[in-house]
Amino acid sequence: MNKHYKTIKFVFASALVGLVMAGFTSCGKKDENSPGVEFMPDMYRSNSLEYYGTHVVDGVTEQTAKEPVKGTVARGFLPYAYPNTKDGYDAATANLKNPLTAQSREVYEKEGEVLYGKFCVHCHGASGAGDGKVGAKLPGPPPAYGSIQNLTEGKIFHSITYGKGMMGQHASQLTQEERWKLVYYVQKLQGPKAAAADTAKAAVTPTVAAAANH
Amino acid sequence: MKNHISRTTAKALIATIFTLFAFTSNIFAQENAKNGEKLFKLNCATCHKSHTDQKLTGPGLKGVFDRVQSGSMSKDEWMKKWILNNEKMIKAGDAYANKIFNDNGKATMSVFEGQLTDADVADIMAFIKGPAPIEGPVTGTTTGPTATGDPVDGGTKVEPLYLILGTIVILAILLGAFRSVRNSMQNAANRAEGKAENPDLTFWQETKEWMSGHRRLVGVFAIVIGFIGMKSCWDACYDIGVYYDWETQKGYKPEQPIKFSHKLHAGDNEIACQYCHSSVEKSRHAGIPSVNICMNCHKGIQSGPQYAEKEINKIYNAAGFDPKTQTYDKKKENPLTWIKVHNLPDHVYFNHSQHVVVGKIECTTCHGDVKSMTVAEQKAPLTMKWCIECHRKTEVAMEGNAYYDRLHKALKEKYAGQYDVKFTVEKIGGLECAKCHY
Repeated sequence: MNKHYKTIKFVFASALVGLVMAGFTSCGKKDENSPGVEFMPDMYRSNSLEYYGTHVVDGVTEQTAKEPVKGTVARGFLPYAYPNTKDGYDAATANLKNPLTAQSREVYEKEGEVLYGKFCVHCHGASGAGDGKVGAKLPGPPPAYGSIQNLTEGKIFHSITYGKGMMGQHASQLTQEERWKLVYYVQKLQGPKAAAADTAKAAVTPTVAAAANH
Repeated sequence: MKNHISRTTAKALIATIFTLFAFTSNIFAQENAKNGEKLFKLNCATCHKSHTDQKLTGPGLKGVFDRVQSGSMSKDEWMKKWILNNEKMIKAGDAYANKIFNDNGKATMSVFEGQLTDADVADIMAFIKGPAPIEGPVTGTTTGPTATGDPVDGGTKVEPLYLILGTIVILAILLGAFRSVRNSMQNAANRAEGKAENPDLTFWQETKEWMSGHRRLVGVFAIVIGFIGMKSCWDACYDIGVYYDWETQKGYKPEQPIKFSHKLHAGDNEIACQYCHSSVEKSRHAGIPSVNICMNCHKGIQSGPQYAEKEINKIYNAAGFDPKTQTYDKKKENPLTWIKVHNLPDHVYFNHSQHVVVGKIECTTCHGDVKSMTVAEQKAPLTMKWCIECHRKTEVAMEGNAYYDRLHKALKEKYAGQYDVKFTVEKIGGLECAKCHY
């Protein structure tokens, strides 16, 4: 009789363990905030510092994302020579030329169009008329490219790099080469609009147009 | 006397009917307001706050029925006309209509004539007049006109397993209580009859006795329970380290520090995935955008359709930005700690650029329809089986890939008609262990 009890006890115990296990995992699943059961969590969660967050050094909490050490340059990164000042803006306008000349303009324009579709179109609109969906939500929409044809390529590049007016800087998202490809495409968008420049200008809020034109 | 009784009954009856009527009509009013809330969210919420003074594109609607100067019309009638066609009223020269138009920077409000029926407008007005909606998880997660998010499972849903366990515990307690009562009653009876008292067995001893009397039943029961337990244990093993519910196909969906909605940004506003996840084509990580990328747009856009300034202010707090002066203060920066949703263990190598640029895999293939997600959610199990299955059936994107141009053409000519082979990822070593584990 004792033997029977032992078997029954064993089966009950294993059943209980199973139920508890199932409870653990399945209930964790139902909670959207829980990643569930992790076996050996240090294999799932890296012990190294994550880029966004804080870490503590000598009792001082520091932000993990940091600027590069002064004077250092990342591999494959070309620093941009013109500073984000009025002087830098004027100098870039006057002196900066598009270095991408190895292939035909059309090739770069095509690549620029792809980039434009990812990085510009939501504010500037597909045709560059300033009618993008996000642009409409800004305090003033971006000016139509057709209305600002007198920009040098250096000025366009400088504006993409550091931003202008409501536009933010895009240097962290786009490499210099990509920015130059965009300059080609932006110039293409400005081109055929020449005839309609005056009407487009009228449609743009005066302050924005003035800000973009100086 | 009889007559008197029947009269009171009649009175009571009438009173009951009246209360019932009042009660049901109250329910109807609530239904109207509920419908109105839905309609308000679809049509009005992008520009108006229903129960505060806060201005979005249009003014906040708190107390709007008090301030309307409707002239000869009733206030409700004026509001109905305004909602349906505000342009007509402005053109007709209604004084208050023109005042509102001018006060709000001559921003035009949509015309809803033809879109909304009179009943709809009445419902919306019932909602605006009624109490403010409780910001729960359900109302909080829908943002725009086409909010089709999955219905949120109520937090009250209890796991059936726990229900069973709970019932067992309660039954055991009850059994224990009844047992002692029965025992003492039995003993009292025994004493009265002059018999010996029952031996005072413990619960476990008694259970044992019962079990030895019903051995076959207990055995069958134990085997069934044991089998269920082992099966669930086996199933549970499949869930370890997987942030995905195989049954409901729902994944890890943690609450983030900012209630960022992909639906609003990538869906409604059509911002490309790569704008924020700009390293997806250049590195193994798609990248979580740093705050400066948020600020590219939110420098200007300071209020959102769902949470107004509350959530956007968190960006400003992280960036050390003062929206009033439009200046940054480096000392006031606070890092945002986003919670990683798609996590692969450290012993797996995965490269985004390889899959997106060379493999030409769409973002949605693995991440699901992110454009419709208000809260980012894992949509694939991210298990090794899942990787392998895809590598087995996905054909290599050779078109437009210069690396394969010459070789593929030559091989196709050489073995023309001899093999019927699909060039899947598996064929180019996509199943090699060291491809991902090294």
